[in-house]
Amino acid sequence: MSFLNVESIKKSFGKNEVLKDISFSLERGEVLAIIGSSGSGKTTLLRCLNFLETPQSGKITVNGNVLFDGSDPAKKTEAEIRKNRLHFGLVFQSFNLFPQYKVIENITLAPLLAAKEQIKTNGEYMGEKTYKKAAEAINQNAERLLSKVGLLEKKNDYPCNLSGGQQQRVAIARALALNPDVLCFDEPTSALDPELTGEVLSVIRGLKSSDSTMIVVTHEIGFAHDVADKIIFMDEGVIAEQGTPQQVIDNPQSQRTKTFLSRFNQFGD
Amino acid sequence: MEQFLNVTQKLFQGFGENCIIFAVTLLAAIPLGLLVSFGSRSRFAPLRLLVKTVVWIIRGTPLMLQLFVVFYVTPLLFGGIKFDRMNAALIAFIINYSAYFSEIFRGGIEAIPRGQYEAGQVLGMKKSQIFFKIVLLQVVKRITAPISNEVITLVKDTSLARVIAIPEILKQAENFSAQGLIWPLFYTGAFFLIFCGVLTLLFSYIEKKLDYYKG
Repeated sequence: MSFLNVESIKKSFGKNEVLKDISFSLERGEVLAIIGSSGSGKTTLLRCLNFLETPQSGKITVNGNVLFDGSDPAKKTEAEIRKNRLHFGLVFQSFNLFPQYKVIENITLAPLLAAKEQIKTNGEYMGEKTYKKAAEAINQNAERLLSKVGLLEKKNDYPCNLSGGQQQRVAIARALALNPDVLCFDEPTSALDPELTGEVLSVIRGLKSSDSTMIVVTHEIGFAHDVADKIIFMDEGVIAEQGTPQQVIDNPQSQRTKTFLSRFNQFGD
Repeated sequence: MEQFLNVTQKLFQGFGENCIIFAVTLLAAIPLGLLVSFGSRSRFAPLRLLVKTVVWIIRGTPLMLQLFVVFYVTPLLFGGIKFDRMNAALIAFIINYSAYFSEIFRGGIEAIPRGQYEAGQVLGMKKSQIFFKIVLLQVVKRITAPISNEVITLVKDTSLARVIAIPEILKQAENFSAQGLIWPLFYTGAFFLIFCGVLTLLFSYIEKKLDYYKG
């Protein structure tokens, strides 16, 4: 059994069937790139994995833990959903940093709240007995992540004073701070000026070498080709083709993939 | 001169009543308004409908009429209950201003992009944490201007309390004019102007304080 298993996910909004039977799996440390035209269901799939949407049916398993099972009639409590969400991280297209907090506070806010809560319920947080000690560790980890994305000197700035690329790098650090099993990116460069996409993509490349398991929804075909271990091409709510970048991008079999890729005739540069 | 001091003293006495109404209304109506705004955004349709109807009635009728209703009609309807004048005024003001504040809060809350909630959700935060740690601060910034408007209106509305014979500042001034002394009535304007001036300064200070970030 793979590290991440997604089986027969179906999701509709009213009569509109957005995901029709999506299944795939991913090993620990692998990078999956999802490509496809707008409206093909890529973003909805990521949102289902992060429990921002609830699929109608299907099953999601991470590291042997069943996080979602559509055949299980018991409704999940908010606390369970919150716990399941922590297996996944999500970096949004539009960054969604918290504007009123400094860069470092954006990263530490959720871990600090979690630490406070956990100390309250069982007296410790990741082995740290007191909140002060836990907070120190969280802060250090946030600074480590900020230097990883190359923004340590901006830690006391507010998001409004950063460029889009910098904001997205902070958002990546924020998602990493909770140590997700699988980090998802929803078109992380689509809201950026072309000259700013490079810095974000190179941060994601850097994460690959540090063995993060990642799912990247992207329109950057060249980037997907370089970074991904596995590519899924989605079209109208189904996986039209999947395989290695060499298979899907260099030698597409399905006509739909060919048509899609022909629009990116400059890919790979 | 002696007359001027006498008038000033009486008006200050009256203005004390206005200040009590102002302060108590503000302190109670802001949290109550927040609660009402939750009601009008509830996913439970009957509650939402009820709250919206009440807000419609409160905003759709004159505050003066509401003062009469609370003071005169409540005892008729519910035999035992009789408010003293100040309590009746406070109740009417608090209900009235909660309705207005609730709509300002609702607008402010709904103006916060979905992405802010979702960012909190994927970070494993609780609904209450998302509201108090992420959304509320941004709402406060967005609603400072409309709230300041409403607060300044409240200062002047307090003089409506005279319709149920609360000896507030305009009532005091009217007592003088009944004795043939007209100028105290215009003198009351200075009290309101100075009070509202201070509030204006206070609110622009708050706005400046919240100016450290954008968005």
